[in-house]
Amino acid sequence: MNTAVHPDPQGSLIEDLKRGDSSAYKKAVREYSPGMLAVARFYLDYSSAEEIVQDCWVTVIDAIHKFEGRSGLKTWLHRIVANRCKNKLRSSKREVAIDFSESLEPELANRFNATGRWDLPPSLKFHESADTLMENDALSDCLDKHLSALPETQRSALMLYEAHQHKSEDVCNILDVSASNLRVLLHRARQKIFLMVETFQETGEC
Amino acid sequence: MLMCKDLAGIASDYIDGELTGRRNLSVKMHLMMCKHCRSFIGNLRASTDLMKAHSSSKPDEEFIRRIDERVAEALKTRKPRDGDNE
Repeated sequence: MNTAVHPDPQGSLIEDLKRGDSSAYKKAVREYSPGMLAVARFYLDYSSAEEIVQDCWVTVIDAIHKFEGRSGLKTWLHRIVANRCKNKLRSSKREVAIDFSESLEPELANRFNATGRWDLPPSLKFHESADTLMENDALSDCLDKHLSALPETQRSALMLYEAHQHKSEDVCNILDVSASNLRVLLHRARQKIFLMVETFQETGEC
Repeated sequence: MLMCKDLAGIASDYIDGELTGRRNLSVKMHLMMCKHCRSFIGNLRASTDLMKAHSSSKPDEEFIRRIDERVAEALKTRKPRDGDNE
């Protein structure tokens, strides 16, 4: 096999990282740090989370030669971040408090009558693709606002699952939650985004 | 019988293909008869796509810059390894 050509672009990036190539680090930092921050924010406040992400990159410089590629680079990085966060929480004897009791958002639950049928059915209509809709700056700003208002636990679950496309099993591992609790986090977060977009389309207000 | 409110509670599981046979079938049957729930499932899916399109668009540049600086600093003191010059 010709080792000079990497059919897998991630394989070539990993080799460059192992050699300590600074432009490879820049590329990897840009690509993977937002997801690493999403993991850390599940456990910690923003400034501690950012510090952990920075520390992890410094660790990666020495640890990358041990990376064997059994998992993808993204999953490996996310696990390093999660383990650091868990250690930090353990040493400060804190825990992540999450409410898993209800799968329906109260605002949505109120839209059904006593027999469980829709009283106030969804009014949202999508005529354009997500990419076209995102060209609307006001909608984009509104999404920003609502995403940052989500409870950290819901946002991290949503980001890892949707934006960073981890499998459920990986998200459960990284965030240390059961499969059924992950389902609750994801569903609560999606409902909030749905309610926000609905209000925005109805009223033009965020 | 599955009511609209029950379906709303498990809509994400349905979208993600996490429901088992019978439960999945009862959602499908309900959706055939109920336009509001069809609309809700479609909306939830579209809102999620919107969130995905939004969040993958722009990293926080300041956050990236601060990491780049830390990494550049740490690379200066990195111990050389076999294969560095290949």
